[in-house]
Amino acid sequence: MTVTISRVYLLDVANNTIQEAELWDAITEKHLADWEAEWMPELFKATQKLHRANVERRLWPQSRHWDWRRKASVLNGMLGNPGFSIVCGGLTQGMMIVDSSMKRCRIPSQKGRDLVYVEFIENAPWNRRELLFDPPRYRGIGTVLIRAAIELSKAEDFKGRIGLHSLPQANSFYANTCGMVDFGVDANHEGLRYFEMTPEHAEAFIAKGTSP
Amino acid sequence: MKVEITRDWCLKMAMLEGDSEIGAGLVAIDPVFEGNPMVTGSSDDRSVAFGRFVRLMRRNHGLSIEKLADDAAVDVAELVSIEDDTHHKPEVRTVYQLANFFKVPRPNLMQLAGLTIQHNNRLNDEAARFAARSDPVVALTEEERAALEAFVAVLSEQS
Repeated sequence: MTVTISRVYLLDVANNTIQEAELWDAITEKHLADWEAEWMPELFKATQKLHRANVERRLWPQSRHWDWRRKASVLNGMLGNPGFSIVCGGLTQGMMIVDSSMKRCRIPSQKGRDLVYVEFIENAPWNRRELLFDPPRYRGIGTVLIRAAIELSKAEDFKGRIGLHSLPQANSFYANTCGMVDFGVDANHEGLRYFEMTPEHAEAFIAKGTSP
Repeated sequence: MKVEITRDWCLKMAMLEGDSEIGAGLVAIDPVFEGNPMVTGSSDDRSVAFGRFVRLMRRNHGLSIEKLADDAAVDVAELVSIEDDTHHKPEVRTVYQLANFFKVPRPNLMQLAGLTIQHNNRLNDEAARFAARSDPVVALTEEERAALEAFVAVLSEQS
C-alpha cells in the first residue's frame, strides 16, 4: 500500500504558535501503537478525573470503548475504506476512517448520489477540553480531517459530498463550524444525529479558511 | 492522496474549531464489528461482498437500481438497502430472483447473502477477497471487472 504524507498545520494552544504536522492517508502500525500506548492511558485517566469530579456518566467520553486496532484491521484492507491520521510533535493527534463506496446522499437535491461517509473520527485525548485537558495541546485536528474527507470526495468525483453520524457532544462542530445539514436523530444509528454536506457546503467550508 | 492545505487555512480553521469536540461514529462497543473480525469469510465479509456483488453486477449490466428492480421483479427499496446497508438482511425471495437474473447458482448466492449456513468455505474466502478488491464508484475499472469476473466464476461453481 502506498502512503502519502501531506503537510498541514495545527495550532499549539499553550504557546499560541502554529506547528507543522503530517496528514497521512493511512492508519499504520505507528498510529495504532500511539493509540494503545499514549491515547488509552490518557483516556483512562481522563475518565477517572471526570468520575472523581462527579461528572455524570453520560458526559464521559463517548468514544472510550473504541478499539482503533480492531477498526483498522477490519477496514484498512478494503479499497473503499481508507484511513487518515495526523501526526504532530512525534505523536498521532487524530484518526479517521471513511467509507467511499457504500453510502449515498440523503439531501433531496443530492439524493442517491455517492458520498464519502466518515465512519469514525477521533481526537487524541490531550486535545480535548471536555476531558479536562486545560488548555488542550493542539487545535485544528477536526477541520483538517474533514477537509481531507472533502478532498477525497472530490478525488472520487463525488464533488465534496460527505456524511457522518456525530457523537452528541460534537453536534455543534458539524452544524456550525462545518456548516453541514442536520438531518436530526437517526433511529437506526443509536439515536445519533446524521449530518451531510453538499458540494456547495463543502466549498463554503473551504472558503471559511480563505476569506479575509 | 496528496492534500494541499495552506498554513493560513489551517490556522484560521483551528481558531474557528476552538475546543469543539469532533467525535463521530457509532458509540457502542464497536457494534459494527462484533465477533472476530480477522476470521476470513466472516458474515461481515459476506454481507459486504453480497452488496458489492449486486451493485457491480448491476453496473456491469448498465442498469439503474429501478431498472434492475423491474427486470428482476424485486422491491426497489430492498435493492437500495442491499447495496448500501451491510447490516441489511435480504428477503429470501429477493436473493432467489437476483440469482435467476444474474444466472448464478441460488444456493451459493443464498450463502453469500447470509441466509444459509456456510457449506462452501472457498466461497467465503473468495467473498472476503472480492470485498477487499472491489470498490464500487462510478465506472467499472478493469481491475473491478476482473475481480467481478473472477468472483462470478467461483460463485457459479456448483457445490
